[in-house]
Amino acid sequence: MRDRRMVFFGIARGAMAIILALAVGAVFIFLSSKTPFTALRYLLIGPLLSFHDGSVIFNAQYLFQIFAAMIPTIFTGLAVCVMFSANQFNLAGEGCVLAGGFIGGILGVYLQINSGWHAVVCVLAATVACGLIMLIPALLKVKLGASEMVTSLMLNFIILYVVLHYLNFNFADRTKGATMTKAFRSTAVIPSLVPGNSKMSVGFIVALLATALIAFFMYRTRWGYAIRMIGINESFALYSGMNVGWTIVLAQVIGGMLSGMGGSLEVLGRYQTYLWRELPGYGWVGITVAILAKNNPVYVPLAAFFIAYLNKGCLLMSTHCDVPSEMIDIIQAAIFLFFAAEQFLSGFRQKLVVKTATEDLMRLEADRGSRGGGSHA
Amino acid sequence: MEHNDLALDMRGITKIYPNVIAANREVDFSVKPGEIHALIGENGAGKSTLMKILFGMERPTEGEIFVDGQAVSFSSPTDAIAKGIGMVHQHFMLVPSLTVAENIVLGMAPRKSGFLIDYREALELTRASAEKFNLHVEPSARVADIATGMKQKVEILKALVRGARVLILDEPTAVLTSQETAGLFQELKNLKEQGFTIIFISHKLNEVKELTDRITIMRAGKSVGVYDTGAVSEEEISRRMVGRDVILSVEKEAVAPGEVVLQVQGLRYVNEWGKQALDGVTFSVRSGEIVGVAGVEGNGQRELVDILFGLRLPESGTARVGGVKLTGLPQARIRSLGVSYVPEDRMTLGIAAAASVEENVISDRFQGKRFNHGPLFRMKELHKESDRLILDYSILCKTRSQEVGMLSGGNIQKVVVAREFSSDPVLIIADQPTRGIDVGATELIRKRLIDLSRAGAAVLLVSADLNEVMELSDSLIVFYEGKIAGYFDNGEWDDVMMGEYMLGLKHQSDEEIGRASHA
Repeated sequence: MRDRRMVFFGIARGAMAIILALAVGAVFIFLSSKTPFTALRYLLIGPLLSFHDGSVIFNAQYLFQIFAAMIPTIFTGLAVCVMFSANQFNLAGEGCVLAGGFIGGILGVYLQINSGWHAVVCVLAATVACGLIMLIPALLKVKLGASEMVTSLMLNFIILYVVLHYLNFNFADRTKGATMTKAFRSTAVIPSLVPGNSKMSVGFIVALLATALIAFFMYRTRWGYAIRMIGINESFALYSGMNVGWTIVLAQVIGGMLSGMGGSLEVLGRYQTYLWRELPGYGWVGITVAILAKNNPVYVPLAAFFIAYLNKGCLLMSTHCDVPSEMIDIIQAAIFLFFAAEQFLSGFRQKLVVKTATEDLMRLEADRGSRGGGSHA
Repeated sequence: MEHNDLALDMRGITKIYPNVIAANREVDFSVKPGEIHALIGENGAGKSTLMKILFGMERPTEGEIFVDGQAVSFSSPTDAIAKGIGMVHQHFMLVPSLTVAENIVLGMAPRKSGFLIDYREALELTRASAEKFNLHVEPSARVADIATGMKQKVEILKALVRGARVLILDEPTAVLTSQETAGLFQELKNLKEQGFTIIFISHKLNEVKELTDRITIMRAGKSVGVYDTGAVSEEEISRRMVGRDVILSVEKEAVAPGEVVLQVQGLRYVNEWGKQALDGVTFSVRSGEIVGVAGVEGNGQRELVDILFGLRLPESGTARVGGVKLTGLPQARIRSLGVSYVPEDRMTLGIAAAASVEENVISDRFQGKRFNHGPLFRMKELHKESDRLILDYSILCKTRSQEVGMLSGGNIQKVVVAREFSSDPVLIIADQPTRGIDVGATELIRKRLIDLSRAGAAVLLVSADLNEVMELSDSLIVFYEGKIAGYFDNGEWDDVMMGEYMLGLKHQSDEEIGRASHA
């Protein structure tokens, strides 16, 4: 659907899905809240503007918090984009975020490098390690034909309990009340980008760079091309002489690396110690992000922003009003539903197609006429 | 003409698919009772769509349909069948594991004691209707075991048993030998005499001339003329179809074949149904020659081609290109030996439908030095290459970034051929390269195939279109039941003679067949 009108339609359809999903959310807000309009105000514009004694203030810290929240989901969104583009429904991004965070965190505590390279080494080590972890479902798929969806889903729990084991028995700081590691060395901490407590770290810039890199990788390199062709038609890719198995492994390894990088940047940029004791959920959000972005890396930051904005709005809504923060789950589910429904707005699309086709035919015919019908010669 | 005088009248039919250019635009199509009416046009002209609408498989965007003067609206084939319309699809809709009789009564089986199927009654019904319509089939044979021509008879009978008065035949001769085609024509003429109305869809002008009473020609989704068959020449029809003159026969120079490029030695293969699909096949293809493989489909051609391109492993025997053993090599390696392959099924192997024209034409060469600079694609070179191929092979597309799936069948095939023919191949395996595509694209592909062979490439041409193999080939191999039944290299062959070898009526001596190998 590369026709300009069709592209526009795609965007319009996405916007409609979001609006309808918000409308569904609004219904629940009206049902559950005594002050629905205030709640809606917090949800929709609260993340940008605050209201004090009748005056409206732009709240930069909130915006920074939203950017900070985008860091891990941009990475997982990109990871899912790459893997889904190769038609690999690998769900271990979730586990890789955790593993990446853990590995980065442990290195942040115990590795001794007295310069800013410490953080870089921590993040890169986590990245490489998670790429290696992804070899498990990828090789099982390519060598034995095991469904990557099943193996990766199970892998998440294996990763979780392996991490918990080592956290509890090897790395927990016994002087603290909760299970967590010792504090990261200052050299390992990802510096904040802005003043204040927003946690918007240098990781945000890394995330945007990763987006550009992955967009280039997918659309401007032979490997990205092979990944996309395999996703569209694997038999075609094989017949064309592509190394299908290797490329499928590559896509998943890249997915793992991105997730691991996101996890380590999040842990080292947000916390003082490693303390995740359950799956952080960013891998799942990454799937939503990739679906919103239609597997196109370029749109991933936009989609991640949207989700982070909604999250912040829901948080404000539940803090200031009587609406539970679970509302975000309802809205996310509704977006999923509307995006997944292929037939959504198909009547309108059909009309558009008819119009385009009629014009096409007229153009084609005029073309044939002017070329004396020699179009095949 | 009033609707009442017509067996069938379709008025102002427009059909626009969600993802395709308008398939039909205000088409008027009418058929008189008791006539054989040809519906012809290039591929993508909208014939199939029109017939799908008539058979209730698609709903028209606009337009009306009248059957025997009555306005009708079909929402499924069941509705169409109820109004006496039957369709025989190009790809048979039969259950191979069931018997002929079971297929005939499928969905309307006679019952005994409430729910058990009365098989004896089904046999009887089949036998009786076969007698009545003069279509001789063996009711108790399993469909998997019967010949293609027989399967077609079963399909026709199936439609007639369901009360069809109007029969739609979608390219019925595409899969038949010339003898089977002649038989089919006789049966269709019989049916016509019994008062049945037949709509005959075809690409083959000579068949249309021979069989039909009237012709409706379609072009670019529109009806461009209705004629009495006797009143128009083949040249006139083809001019109407494509809007210009099509050269119907192929011109090619004589050739002195060079060295052996492909050497196939004692290939044996048992297919997934346990059939000995290839039974000791030995032949070679030399540089500069086109070797045609003729044969009724399902006699081992499919398996041969798959083995040559590494898609199946033979039980025994070898295939070598330039002395290198092909069997067991990955496709990338086979391609690097200079082997090109135009697959029979272009939609599943030949293209990635949702990718762009550009992405499809470069799929075999995108890793080359010319297109890469370090890790990055040289986009300019890619654009240059795809633009060159689009121009060179007259691929009708809006831009190089248009989705291939949006193009017509002929243009999709041109995309495949542009890629496969432009990589300086030493061996081209062309499997049904012009099946189901329009005359213009067919002509272009055949001409390029000849040009490439005259420039020194070895060509192995597999085709169910006997005329195509006979016209294009320098020498001919006939396949019958997994063996080579005959080898001809003198250029003296005709369809009757070919048919005899294809149907196993004749078989050359081992000595004569041995000449196919030039080792």
